[in-house]
Amino acid sequence: MTLEPLPTGRRELPVSLPGAPEDAPPGELRVRIAPRELAPAAKALHEVHARLVTMFLARSPEPSLVWVFALRGRLVVLRCPWEEGQEPVPSLGDAWPAARWAERELAERLAGLARPGAFTRPDPDRATRQVEGLDVFTLPYGPVRSGVFEAIQFVIETGGEDIPRLQTRPFFKHRGLERRMRDMTPERAVYVAERIAGIASVAWATAFSQAVEQALGVEAPPRAQRWRAVLAETERIANHLDVIAKEAETASLHVGQARFLIHKENLLRLQAALTGSRFARGALVPGGIRQECAIALDALLAALESFQRELRRDRKLFLGTASMTDRLIGTGQLDRETIEDYGAVGPLARGSGVAVDARHERPYGDYRRLGLQIVTHEQGDAMARIHVRFGEIAESVRILRQAIDQLRRRDGELRLPLPERTSGAGFGWTEAPQGELLAWVEIDDGRVANVHFAAPDLRNWALFEHAFPKDVLTDFAFIEHSFGLTPAGADR
Amino acid sequence: MLEWILRGLRGGRVTTRYPACDEQPPARFRGRVDVLDDGQADPALEEVCPTAAILARDGRVRLDRGRCILCGACVQAAPDRFAFRPSYQTASPRREGLWVGAGQEADVWPAIRTLRDHAGALRNSVSVRHVDAGSDGSEEWEIHALTNPYYDVQRLGITFTPSPRHADILLVTGAVTAPMRRPMQLAFEVMPGPKAVIAAGTEACSGALTAGGEDVLGGVDRVLPVDVYIPGSPPSPIALLHGILLAMGRLGEERAA
Repeated sequence: MTLEPLPTGRRELPVSLPGAPEDAPPGELRVRIAPRELAPAAKALHEVHARLVTMFLARSPEPSLVWVFALRGRLVVLRCPWEEGQEPVPSLGDAWPAARWAERELAERLAGLARPGAFTRPDPDRATRQVEGLDVFTLPYGPVRSGVFEAIQFVIETGGEDIPRLQTRPFFKHRGLERRMRDMTPERAVYVAERIAGIASVAWATAFSQAVEQALGVEAPPRAQRWRAVLAETERIANHLDVIAKEAETASLHVGQARFLIHKENLLRLQAALTGSRFARGALVPGGIRQECAIALDALLAALESFQRELRRDRKLFLGTASMTDRLIGTGQLDRETIEDYGAVGPLARGSGVAVDARHERPYGDYRRLGLQIVTHEQGDAMARIHVRFGEIAESVRILRQAIDQLRRRDGELRLPLPERTSGAGFGWTEAPQGELLAWVEIDDGRVANVHFAAPDLRNWALFEHAFPKDVLTDFAFIEHSFGLTPAGADR
Repeated sequence: MLEWILRGLRGGRVTTRYPACDEQPPARFRGRVDVLDDGQADPALEEVCPTAAILARDGRVRLDRGRCILCGACVQAAPDRFAFRPSYQTASPRREGLWVGAGQEADVWPAIRTLRDHAGALRNSVSVRHVDAGSDGSEEWEIHALTNPYYDVQRLGITFTPSPRHADILLVTGAVTAPMRRPMQLAFEVMPGPKAVIAAGTEACSGALTAGGEDVLGGVDRVLPVDVYIPGSPPSPIALLHGILLAMGRLGEERAA
């Protein structure tokens, strides 16, 4: 199912915005606003159910604060000229819970990172208490947790079983990688991009590459786009299998865990056979891909067939094991309003009936030609999110077959050279396994000048504290795994 | 539950026989970069590498695997000098051991012998505690993969422990960020001796691409004494296993390097 390209221009928008429209590539609407016009513009967008994606400080064409909204298959970009030291722009946090973390991060980064204990530079030993009462205690869980997990901290306030309040504290792993990319050539900066969230290397490298291509006015050749889709879908399946295996592990379903880990390992080995790296690193480059993937298409297809056949049985067993599904049904319930308020994305949103998927909303690369069915479930619990993941694995296999079929039919170029010493700025986006990922890249004289990533992980972590309406401590791990997020992506 | 057991049995054995037999990686696997020719080179060759892992001075070319992220920029720019090798043998007990020229791998045997004496008490069974000091997340996947049926490290007496107080080996991933410095140090301090520290991944060895980022201190050896370095971005499960076995003193002279 493909969407028709939407006409651009203000008239077709279901909303009238204050401010002056600016030139924008197809599919985007850019408006220049004054600080006092922000509140009315945001209100108008709120009324038509726009989704706030991110906010950041852009340097091109002039230093400005930028808010990005997704609205009916388009990006609506509000740009307010603003420089550090000027009077602060009003906050959107009251009306848009989705803006709270983004505003907090931006404000702290602008003020400098010097203050330990701040949101973006957490101190593991310092926690604020909010719930008062007899027998209520605070449990700081992390950043070093039991098992092999990434560093993140949860401050749990509990009376023993239920969780009246929970704080998620990311940014233990903030490495400043967006800043690190500055002054690099785009061909080199993509190495950094694929190491921000390592388990979604392809998605991050694709988002970055597409933003660079948009900024410099080139488009990757069709064959390169197709290979990108093949690598991205393989990565998606591996990520979903990881989540399912972790749920099985948490429920002590050892054979189930082993079966799904075998599938995941097979997928990583497939990536290694395709690209030489188990995470497809070094395969993508702005302008295309670096080299033809090494594996014969027939072998790839055969591997997929056997994977699909084996998985079908394991899936049936998994969903038929009551000791497994009992832990997931009704656990970590998130209703549709909360999802929409926080602008959640990915399998998390789709598990609560919100059909957001960047591949469908704003098709990019090969997804403009490939058919795609969005998998959604209405229940909003951990079980629904697992159902969504199983459904998406099947859908990814179907997409892979289509792409392989087309790769077989046509040969073509793999990479276009980027124009040298050019400047420009643009957005690029992908649907990472964790959700929609948006990149903003500014290129100045052939070098990266400014980068911002709107990570699905950071946006979705903000909902974690709302996922415990009637759940107890032993449900914690099930809910965390059902989110399927990586702290590395959130912290950047 | 019986169905699960039958399902598991029907799959047969998938577990590798490593380290008793060698494990063959796929042909194009980017295990490590070897220097084919280290003769006089243009110093501009150093610029090819995004992490400054190449040194082309004093008439020789040297490569620092502790900084190499296996991106392949050098292999593409100078295919007569550098080549990928599908190998899992990358770990070294000394930081200098990761510097390589043509033909010879650095002689790390004396360091292995020292490590063996030091790690003698660990030889048969170890508990490993993992700490993420600022990785990109892929190292955790590869460490977690060690427990899957393909690698199944428990058959070698290697177990992962939730508490550092039970741990013999601290497996650190990622370049150390400022907020993670103290938690990592604490985990090391409460470990009983004898203990070993493994830096897993190129980021943990030197910081690599993240070095110089705000709030990044650099390689793990800036903070803790590192016994084994496992380069790789990320290191594959067998490469990790090779490094852990090195730290346990379980690899013979012919297989260690």
